[in-house]
Amino acid sequence: MAAVKRLKRVAAAQPGFMSFKSSAGSDDLNSGQRKRVNKNKKKNWNKHSDIQDVEEFLDDVRLQERATGGLISEKPDDSLFFVDIGEQRKYVQPEVQEGKKGKKSKSRPLRIDLILQHDSLVPPPKDILAHQQPNAKKLRRIAENAEKLAAMGVLPRRQKRLLNRRPAITASKSKTTANNFPDRPYYDLWGGDAKETADPYYLEQTGKKRVKRPEKLNSKPSVLPAVEVIAPGGSYNPDFFSHQALLLEAHEVEVKRERAELRIERQLAVNREDTATEETVFQELVEGLVEEEEDEDEEEEAVSIRGGLQQEKKTEKERRRERADKIKSQQKQAARVFTDKKQQLFQLRSIQATLKRGEQQTRERVAQRKANQEAEKSMPRRLGRLRFQAQDLEVQLSDEIPGSLRTLKPEGSVLKDRFKSMQKRNMIEPRERAKFKRRHKVKYVEKRAFREIT
Amino acid sequence: MGGLQKKKYERGSATNYITRNKARKKLQLSLADFRRLCILKGIYPHEPKHKKKVNKGSTAPRTFYLFKDIRFLLHEPIVRKFREYKVFVRKLRKAYGKAEWTGVERLRDNKPGYKLDHIIKERYPTFIDALRDIDDALSMCFLFSTFARTGKCHVQTITLCRRLTVEWMNYVVTSRSLRKVFLSIKGIYYQAEVLGQLITWLVPYQFAHDHPTDVDYRVMATFTEMYTTLFGFINFRLYQTLNLVYPPKLDSKAESELKAEHEEDYAMDSESYLEKLSALSASLARVVATAEEEENQLDLFPTEGEDQENMQAREKEQKEQEAQKRLFEGLKFFLNREVPRESLAFILRCFGAEVSWDKSLCIGGTYEVTDETITHQIVDRPDMDKQYINRYYIQPQWVFDSVNAQMRLPVEDYFLGTTLPPHLSPFVEEKDGDYVPPEKLKLMALQRGEKPEEEDDVDDEELTEEKNLKKMEGTRAQGKTLAVKVTPGKVKPWETGSVGNKVRLEQEEKAEEKRLAIMMMKKKEKYLYDKIMFGKKRTTREVNKLTAKRKAHEDASKAQKKQKKAKKQ
Repeated sequence: MAAVKRLKRVAAAQPGFMSFKSSAGSDDLNSGQRKRVNKNKKKNWNKHSDIQDVEEFLDDVRLQERATGGLISEKPDDSLFFVDIGEQRKYVQPEVQEGKKGKKSKSRPLRIDLILQHDSLVPPPKDILAHQQPNAKKLRRIAENAEKLAAMGVLPRRQKRLLNRRPAITASKSKTTANNFPDRPYYDLWGGDAKETADPYYLEQTGKKRVKRPEKLNSKPSVLPAVEVIAPGGSYNPDFFSHQALLLEAHEVEVKRERAELRIERQLAVNREDTATEETVFQELVEGLVEEEEDEDEEEEAVSIRGGLQQEKKTEKERRRERADKIKSQQKQAARVFTDKKQQLFQLRSIQATLKRGEQQTRERVAQRKANQEAEKSMPRRLGRLRFQAQDLEVQLSDEIPGSLRTLKPEGSVLKDRFKSMQKRNMIEPRERAKFKRRHKVKYVEKRAFREIT
Repeated sequence: MGGLQKKKYERGSATNYITRNKARKKLQLSLADFRRLCILKGIYPHEPKHKKKVNKGSTAPRTFYLFKDIRFLLHEPIVRKFREYKVFVRKLRKAYGKAEWTGVERLRDNKPGYKLDHIIKERYPTFIDALRDIDDALSMCFLFSTFARTGKCHVQTITLCRRLTVEWMNYVVTSRSLRKVFLSIKGIYYQAEVLGQLITWLVPYQFAHDHPTDVDYRVMATFTEMYTTLFGFINFRLYQTLNLVYPPKLDSKAESELKAEHEEDYAMDSESYLEKLSALSASLARVVATAEEEENQLDLFPTEGEDQENMQAREKEQKEQEAQKRLFEGLKFFLNREVPRESLAFILRCFGAEVSWDKSLCIGGTYEVTDETITHQIVDRPDMDKQYINRYYIQPQWVFDSVNAQMRLPVEDYFLGTTLPPHLSPFVEEKDGDYVPPEKLKLMALQRGEKPEEEDDVDDEELTEEKNLKKMEGTRAQGKTLAVKVTPGKVKPWETGSVGNKVRLEQEEKAEEKRLAIMMMKKKEKYLYDKIMFGKKRTTREVNKLTAKRKAHEDASKAQKKQKKAKKQ
């Protein structure tokens, strides 16, 4: 700020300069009276001395150097003047052709590039610090010594350590670490020695050992074979009877399906006689309205008799009799049991026969249960929401059987067959295609209260 | 009551099972990822015996897994890879959304992937375990290799499956392990015997099939992913046992033969090698190039406890097998265009034949139609215009039937234009007394070496019979006695000669012994025996019924033919 003030003062002190506050009048300079200044003090050399002419001259010199690279007075004559001989129109035409592109031609440099170039011919001063190095000699000497030693084979300590260091294991990130590209290499998985690296306990505790696979997982989920060969009737040129057998099987499946459909219809069936006719409708309407009075009395009496049987007290006789009867019947029963037991001796044979029959039945049932269990092992298990739907038998009708391999039209799809086979063997659960559920937007209905307000 | 009360569903089977959703939440995976993990690790859902107990009183159908299985899954390292992949997808989507293409490239370069090798090793600790499970893998890989290469499934998977199946077929060809073939309406069933294991697989036909919509592709793709890994390792090991180079290389001699003029027109360089391999017409290179060794007769030492008979039986079996492996050796085949090339080339090469086909059909045909040394040409058309003399023109079923019959069947039944005999299934094992179709009987007779009786034209027979009968009636009407003489009886072939006699005596002795044994049985045993024989007799009765039906059917068809002939004339 002091410098600014100083500049302003100096500028204002110049003879031709009009200061801003000239109308108001300058503070320190009254018109006509000039203050006396001591020019011998260093403080006043800058403040009250006029170096304008020198500055002008120096500016002029600098301008010349910037614009032309040196004082014009020192330049040779040839660079400043030339003798005008005449016009030379030799290379006009190609120039005209080049300039046809106009202002936006690519040969012209961009304006911003032009602006950013140096526009003064004064070269920038060279940086002597760049050439100065404080201990250049020492460094040069060290380098020469190192060269001499390297030529003899002695390496500096750092190099030795670098070379001794083990090479870094470059984690070879092969582009396709993935599994299934066509040229995937294979190796001997079951050959090769097991790597005996360290203590098994250590490996287990640090999580490096693989967990053992549970034994149950090694058993197959089903006893069925992986590829079931089709029945001989499925050959492309089948033998008559085997083809008939296969057709019979397919026929039975269809019959079952039809019977299931008929069953539903049968359940819904209505007896024709049960349908209401006009007469029955009339009877129902008229029921209870038309009756004769005689019937009413009869009904009442019948009701009264049934209802009120009066209980009389039991007499002693009756009680005694009852007791005697009871004892007698008990005795009879005991005697009967006794004789039965005695007679059982003679009934041994028939008893044995009944026992044998009973045992046979239990044996049969046990065998049947075992057979059922065995059959269940080969049946597909219920593993999920959907039941297993066996696929349709692949069969060709008698008129579809081709005569030759060329005219054969393959039946069924092996893809579907494999899919179903995997479901049958309990490897995956039966699945069906996800249905498209359309979700509608909920319609906004105003509440009644709001509806009343608006 | 003192002590803690027992609460329901806190112990026992209710705690051994876990529902699918709970398991998924425990593993912190999405449903698709959980399913994939279960398929890869071989963890299947279980149906508990008492559903109500496990389901805590409700009977809603739920999917249950064993709790121990799910706990085992927690230790699986690829679970982490699944989660990383999920994060990767999220980051990629963000980068796409913000249009940061350098970010997208960088993420793509570092895409996380997982390997299944350790899972295969864990599931199949030995090679034989893996070989037992290869049926499924084979069928899936063959199925996937027939898919069209649109973008629906990863084309990489399809290519990998094709490569693996071609390698397998080359192995079977080199080891000559094919045993049975069956052409069905679904596809072709093959059975091979590899290292003592019987392996059956199904190959769909190459031509048209549209994909059903109710098959879950993601599940099948996951299965295929696991199976391709398993299959590749098995292939490697199998090639090692045969001392072949893996990945397979064509024998240098054979390769030079296969060099066609315009190879570049057929396939790109990268694919032409696979195509040549898949042509199956050349042999594979071995690790140690062995010259043709003479198979030394190994000294046979009888194993302990085996008597001479068993050894002889085994020797006989081995000889038969060796003979079977050389079924078509020395024959030269040519496949016409309309015939399924790959299947036939595979089978014929498995049994030692040389095969070729038209050059325009596929790469790898070694000789042309015009080659004079071709012995058989396989054609499926009703007729061929240009026919060479010294070769048989037969329909493709001859090859399949010969393989199943383990001998070269007579070619006459399979000429062009004839109605073929039915193609029987070799996978059917008929027990004694079951119905055996007459074709099979004929086959068995052929196998035993008997020539088939020439089925004279029944018409001629009937005519001669009728003539004879008329003559006889004529003479009788005339009152003359019939010139009936006692002619020396024809001796049946199996009775002639000492061999026949011996056989008969043996049979009679055996029958006597049987009768004595039956008489000496106790009552109970006899009762059981009678029951068994009754059951057997029942089956024979049914068989007779069926044969009678068959005869009736044939007679009817013959009558029809006669009628047609009569109509024509």
